[in-house]
Amino acid sequence: MEPATDPFVTPSTGLGSAALRQRPPSSGPTERPALLPGACRDEGGALSAAMFLYGGGAKHAGSDWFGFEGVDGGNSTLVCVSERRGVLAHLERLETQMSRSCKNLEDPPRETAESDLGTKIHKLRCLRDKLRAEVKQRQARIKASTANAEPDQTLEISEQEAVGGKEENMKAILQAYRFTGLSGKRTSRGVCVCISTAFEGNLLDSYFVDLVIQKPLRIHHHSVPVFIPLEEISAKYLQTNIQHFLFCLCEYLNAYAGRKYQADQLQRDFAAFLAGPLQRNSLCNLLSFTYKVEPQGRSFPFCARLLYKDLTTTLPTDVTITYQGTDASSTSWEEQRASHENLFFTKPLYQVFTSFARNGERLDMSLVS
Amino acid sequence: MDETVAEFIKRTILKIPMTEMMTILKAWDFLPENQLQTVNFRQRKESLVQDLVLLCESKRASLRDAALLDIIYTQFHQHQKVWDVFQMSKEPGEDVDLFDMERFKSSFEKILRRALKNVTVSFRDAEENAVWIRIAWGTQYRKPNQYKPVYVVYYSQTPYAFTSFCHLKSNTPLLSQALTVASNHHKIVKMDLRSRYLDSLKAIVFKQYNQKFETHNSTMPLQETLELDMHMDSRIIHENKIEKERVQRVTQETFGDYPQPRLEFAQYKLETKFRSDFHGGILAERKEPLRCLIKFSSPHLLEALKSLAPAGK
Repeated sequence: MEPATDPFVTPSTGLGSAALRQRPPSSGPTERPALLPGACRDEGGALSAAMFLYGGGAKHAGSDWFGFEGVDGGNSTLVCVSERRGVLAHLERLETQMSRSCKNLEDPPRETAESDLGTKIHKLRCLRDKLRAEVKQRQARIKASTANAEPDQTLEISEQEAVGGKEENMKAILQAYRFTGLSGKRTSRGVCVCISTAFEGNLLDSYFVDLVIQKPLRIHHHSVPVFIPLEEISAKYLQTNIQHFLFCLCEYLNAYAGRKYQADQLQRDFAAFLAGPLQRNSLCNLLSFTYKVEPQGRSFPFCARLLYKDLTTTLPTDVTITYQGTDASSTSWEEQRASHENLFFTKPLYQVFTSFARNGERLDMSLVS
Repeated sequence: MDETVAEFIKRTILKIPMTEMMTILKAWDFLPENQLQTVNFRQRKESLVQDLVLLCESKRASLRDAALLDIIYTQFHQHQKVWDVFQMSKEPGEDVDLFDMERFKSSFEKILRRALKNVTVSFRDAEENAVWIRIAWGTQYRKPNQYKPVYVVYYSQTPYAFTSFCHLKSNTPLLSQALTVASNHHKIVKMDLRSRYLDSLKAIVFKQYNQKFETHNSTMPLQETLELDMHMDSRIIHENKIEKERVQRVTQETFGDYPQPRLEFAQYKLETKFRSDFHGGILAERKEPLRCLIKFSSPHLLEALKSLAPAGK
């Protein structure tokens, strides 16, 4: 049976080959443990502890005892008795033996390693001193040459300030770029485009599209609302003409933001004119509401239905105004209705209602005067 | 007022926890403020409910009002239901979608009624141009069962609809058809996505998670938080610090800064070959790939995954 490569057994560098025979214990497992690699002697003559006791398997550890006989000369025997049971006890014994053997083996190599390190340290110290001396020399030379160059130093400082100021300026310009409506920043993957929407001089929400520059070009992630047809636009233009893609997306988003702003403003600032809730949808391309020309409400309300079939515009494409009063046939109301329709077609909502308010004021003024 | 309606209102109000009672009743807006003030809200719940039901009777509450109360209760307790997601699609090149909420509601109800006379449909508008629909199903001969309704949440002009779990699977095709036609779509499929948390489903499906974008305007608070963490353990040396920072950065790039949508389990089908160093193992060297189903589950899956990388090493 060949000796198994066992992790608890280190191969011993034997000076002789000694066969180890094991005496089976008087009481214990019947399985015969394997023969182990030989013991070795060191200079001291004492049998070194580079032998390891191991019986067959871990399960036998701690329950066997072995006797050894040195075969090549000398009657040195080493009898190890494992009286304590258990794997941990066994491991402890292995460890002490190991440390003992290591100490015996290491002494000669340690000295050589130490002297090597010593010389290395010495060399590095010399190198360090040389470099320090050189640095001092150079500093002295520079000082000598710039001894009479004080104004240059201040020039340097002001140059630094100028560069710093330019950097700040650049950063500010980059930040302000978003006011153009379309700006971007390089990322590790590609570019992050920022579309800043606006309507009639009011800055509204910003939307981002993070593009990965690869073949094919793709969108990593974005903050465009789900009801904007981003997939359609990117399918048409993203791979072929990225400029067109961005401009198209800009158009859609700006128009959406503008319509949303008009609807929000109507609900918020002109609520007095509305006779009922404002009906809208996600894209704000269908608005349905009932309104009165005078907030006091002596007149009958008009029903308005605005359709924005072109998603890139902020003015409606279809306007239907109906009047629900009893005197619907009267020409004055018909005229009003027609003029209102025209207003809704041509002006944004807040302007329409501001003109209603102004007309109302004018009416009042004419009544007073 | 019908006895069944009274019973329904009573059972719905009984479900409402006392802490939310006032809020929900105010949202319902059926009982006016002055009448609510005459009720003693400190008495025992059973007597309070009796008083409220009496008030409703005096105001002649209809099934419609009761259904509305049920919707409001469910809106406050969304987590009690399991929500599925349906995805609709249109033919390419269609006209612009001029979604009219009133037209949608009437169309939806008409389609359901045409197929099934015994059905109760109720609507409640919600924020962000969404609508909550409550459907109580009946059969040809039986009145609708008000205690097992199905809820649908639809955001206008989007291709997604969220529905609460329905025990009666037989009505799902009808529901799908009504949704598709009323919202001007052509096809509808059920997605492999289900959760108790409607907000998380919405975030996933509308891609509203991970909203961190690089701009010139953003400051860099990231570095500061990293430095703070590092000071906590002085045993961490420089090389480890760099590695930790890299892990943090990649985690943040992948997951973003904001709280993750809440998923409770994720299931993957995996087809792979087994790679092993031991020859002659059972699993190695098979011609056919292994097919297995891997299931991740956690009370909050994405947050758990997000904290995995920084927790290691």
